[in-house]
Amino acid sequence: MRRIVFAFSLLLAAAPAAAQALVESDRIDSVSVTLYRDPGRGKGAIPAAGWPGGYALVTETRTISVPAGKSVIRFVGVSEGMMPETAIVTGLPRQVNEKNRDARLLSPAALIDAYLKRRVTIRRTSRATGKATESEAIIQSGPGGGVLLTTADGVEALGCSGLPEKLSYPGVPADLSAKPTLSVTTDSAAAATVTVQISYLAQGFDWSANYVAQVAEDGETLDLFAWLTVANGGSQGFAGARTNAVAGAPNKEQAAVLPKGPPPDLHLRCWPMDITSTHPSWGIERILPRVETADGVMAEDVGGFENIVVTASRQSAPAPPPPPVPVMIAQQEELGDLKLYRIPEPVTVAALSRKQVAMIDRKKVAFARVYTGSFEQFDYARDAAEPESRAAARILRTENREGKGLGLPLPAGRVAVFERAHDESLLVGESDLTDRAIGEEVEFATGESSDLRYKVVARPPSARRQPFTVEVTNARSTPETFEMAIPYKLSSANATLIERKGVKTWRATVPAHGTARLEFALKLERAR
Amino acid sequence: MRLTALILAATPLTAHAQTQPASVPAPDQSAQGDVSVTIYQNGQSLVQDVRQLDLPAGRTRQEFPDVSAQIRSETVTLSGPGLGIVEQNFDYDLLSPDKLMEKAVGSVVTIVRTNPATGAETREQARVLAANGGIVLQIGNRIEVLRDDGLPVRVIFDKVPENLRARPTLSVTLQAAQAGRVPATLTYLTPGLGWTSDYVMLFDEAKGAIDMQGWVTLTNSTGTNYRGADVLLVAGNTNRSFSRLAESTIEQAGTETSPREKLGDYYLYPLGERTTIANAQQKQVSFLDVKNTPARKTYEWTNGWLETQTDPRSAATVLKFSTSKNGGLGDQLPAGTIRVYMRDARGDPQFIGESRVAAAPMGSAMSIRTGDAFDVKGAAVLVERKRMSSTRWRTSMRYDFTNARAEPVTVDLAQNGLWGDVRLVEQSLTGERVSAERMEWKVPVPANGKASVTVVFDTRY
Repeated sequence: MRRIVFAFSLLLAAAPAAAQALVESDRIDSVSVTLYRDPGRGKGAIPAAGWPGGYALVTETRTISVPAGKSVIRFVGVSEGMMPETAIVTGLPRQVNEKNRDARLLSPAALIDAYLKRRVTIRRTSRATGKATESEAIIQSGPGGGVLLTTADGVEALGCSGLPEKLSYPGVPADLSAKPTLSVTTDSAAAATVTVQISYLAQGFDWSANYVAQVAEDGETLDLFAWLTVANGGSQGFAGARTNAVAGAPNKEQAAVLPKGPPPDLHLRCWPMDITSTHPSWGIERILPRVETADGVMAEDVGGFENIVVTASRQSAPAPPPPPVPVMIAQQEELGDLKLYRIPEPVTVAALSRKQVAMIDRKKVAFARVYTGSFEQFDYARDAAEPESRAAARILRTENREGKGLGLPLPAGRVAVFERAHDESLLVGESDLTDRAIGEEVEFATGESSDLRYKVVARPPSARRQPFTVEVTNARSTPETFEMAIPYKLSSANATLIERKGVKTWRATVPAHGTARLEFALKLERAR
Repeated sequence: MRLTALILAATPLTAHAQTQPASVPAPDQSAQGDVSVTIYQNGQSLVQDVRQLDLPAGRTRQEFPDVSAQIRSETVTLSGPGLGIVEQNFDYDLLSPDKLMEKAVGSVVTIVRTNPATGAETREQARVLAANGGIVLQIGNRIEVLRDDGLPVRVIFDKVPENLRARPTLSVTLQAAQAGRVPATLTYLTPGLGWTSDYVMLFDEAKGAIDMQGWVTLTNSTGTNYRGADVLLVAGNTNRSFSRLAESTIEQAGTETSPREKLGDYYLYPLGERTTIANAQQKQVSFLDVKNTPARKTYEWTNGWLETQTDPRSAATVLKFSTSKNGGLGDQLPAGTIRVYMRDARGDPQFIGESRVAAAPMGSAMSIRTGDAFDVKGAAVLVERKRMSSTRWRTSMRYDFTNARAEPVTVDLAQNGLWGDVRLVEQSLTGERVSAERMEWKVPVPANGKASVTVVFDTRY
């Protein structure tokens, strides 16, 4: 609904008399939302708990009638997490002169505050007869520490007599609105109906990719499917929104601190109210401790959100059914040095919700199974017991190339790997993935193997060398690849070491039911 | 009117009731006069308020409502023709029901009892004896506790004690030379008002151009509305440090003088029109609008001394533009935040990153980091570190870059931490030693390809 109200601004002694038309716009014709990830999270999925740490660019399209001359246009119902310094208004006949975001919302306390030292009506109803008496009153104090009124009788406190009392006000002050509002001032040569766009960044959103890798029966390829998971932690939903998500790392500075409005809740306080029979507690206790509640945007307020999501995700079966055939897949396009994912149809991003849309669906991605061990230098001890063998980590490794079945940007997220056993798809491991460009190596962790184990034994050192022996055992019926990075200065090794990611690495094929062995020595730096 | 009827029916006590001002102000009315506000960037503001006072001759106490609730009362000055100041008071003993009751101890109030069965009211005079935990009243010869039986009792006080106020109030005792209307100028400093600037930059990569709008962002948390104020903003003197600004956004400080008004070394930004700064409001006013200024995008990849990466690290996307009069924005920029947008395939602007900028004089070469590139990454590898003598080491570094974009890019590689004594032995690409500390190379990386640079340094240890 749009309505035009002509409100005459009240005149000051010195200010020139100016009439400004007030246009109120509270209907959004269409909205588009572009989601950005939490800048502090380099990899992995949205945490199950807490206020979403990302943000969104919200673009609303509204149709308004602009009168000729100067006018104030109030856009009611912008997102509560709006960062007002980011607001852009386009489409007005002339330039926007100023933009205002008021933190003051219409509430009982805001009314008392606005009518302080002003005239209101107090209405008392008799419990016995139901007869109401009204009288005029002037608010003398409030809303901080209780409300005092001056009536024709004298000075009284509101809500302290035990009688049913209520205040009524002649009207709503022009600068108080029910919902978060952005207002702009503009002027126009002629009256016109225009379509305007309001864009702004808002906090309390997030998105991430959630990958499901299903290893095929042959153990050589996997099907990689990804959900684009969208989280809205605010209390405002966007119905039928054109929704996009941006991958990459746009720089984000700390948002400005908004001026805080008066507390929206009104607590009527009275004088001490102990009576003989209720001592020591006050008989009609009306004083509530003033809890400094943060405005709706803080994390504490969304506890419910946290609970719902945590329990829902934990109670769900560990192995979701194989991903369904996606009908709607988010389309990827370039946006400067970032990647934009566009959900092709308008969807609803509801308040306090998570939503999932397919974004990647690749079949038959070739991968290599690699077992890895880790090495850290340690000192030789003559009486040390034989070290225990350690389980090797099992990794599915592929390259993000078309030849391997991929070759598309892979945005950061969490990967769940499933393999088939007993005609069922079972979870074998979960790991985090960072943003992977085309051509980069991609690894999915699938936990540790009890079949491939390795142990590192230190041998007696000389002045310049510290020798070590690595032994890998394979209990599987297939030969397996084992890798161990040695990030130290090497003196010698009895096998050729490759360079992997800038680090000397031993790569060996461990025969089925067999062992592999490496003898190497680290160079010891002489103490100078 | 009902009010008049009530006043006529009122008890004699109301004769003592505080006389109301002849006119109760309307909700949006303010006691402020001609207000001008000067806002600095260090959190202080100077408010000047010219009010028309109707004064009798001689000494008079004058209250000044609607001043900042955070007013620094020691900075208040009041001046006007023929006015002398006797004393200034800032009272913040706030009026509330319990305070009112406390101050009423020993005095007489009216209590009105309502019969719960019939609704009939009876009025009595009562003296408040104590207000400790509960209210003890003396009614005639009886001593009672207020509302001991839980029945409704209204307590009506004669008046509001003089030194209790609804809001912190400034009052000044004046000595007026003659009676009449005097324009009095009230000035004070207050925290709670601040400003910064926010820039909206639309980057057109194909054209290599930017459109930039600048907005002044004012915030008011003083607890007071300033209506129809003449606002002057003073740029500079930000005592706050830009801790998140890891690297400077000014590549080359400018040497041009902007046509903006100056105060000392501060730039002044007067707002074109009078405006209202409401409490708890964030307000933005336009101050810059430049279209089609040249800008270009580069990639930066900086490495610390002996730093290596096993996982490639993204290069930073950097936008470069100028604030010069020729080929630039043609203005000096107050400190603030630049938000960069780019149009997507459908033509809708999308946010691609933001960066704080320090205040930049006109003519500066600017370089802002908008984010990390998805497709352009690099990794540094320490190939070898060889000991040449007891004091010299030879360090071989390799820098590997990958580009998954469909066009070739150039990465500005920088190696930091060279101190003064690191010498260059050999390099596969000619770089530039920009300072004793830092060396830079421009590395071309082919489309969908890789490039590597190897450098050997000789260092003293």
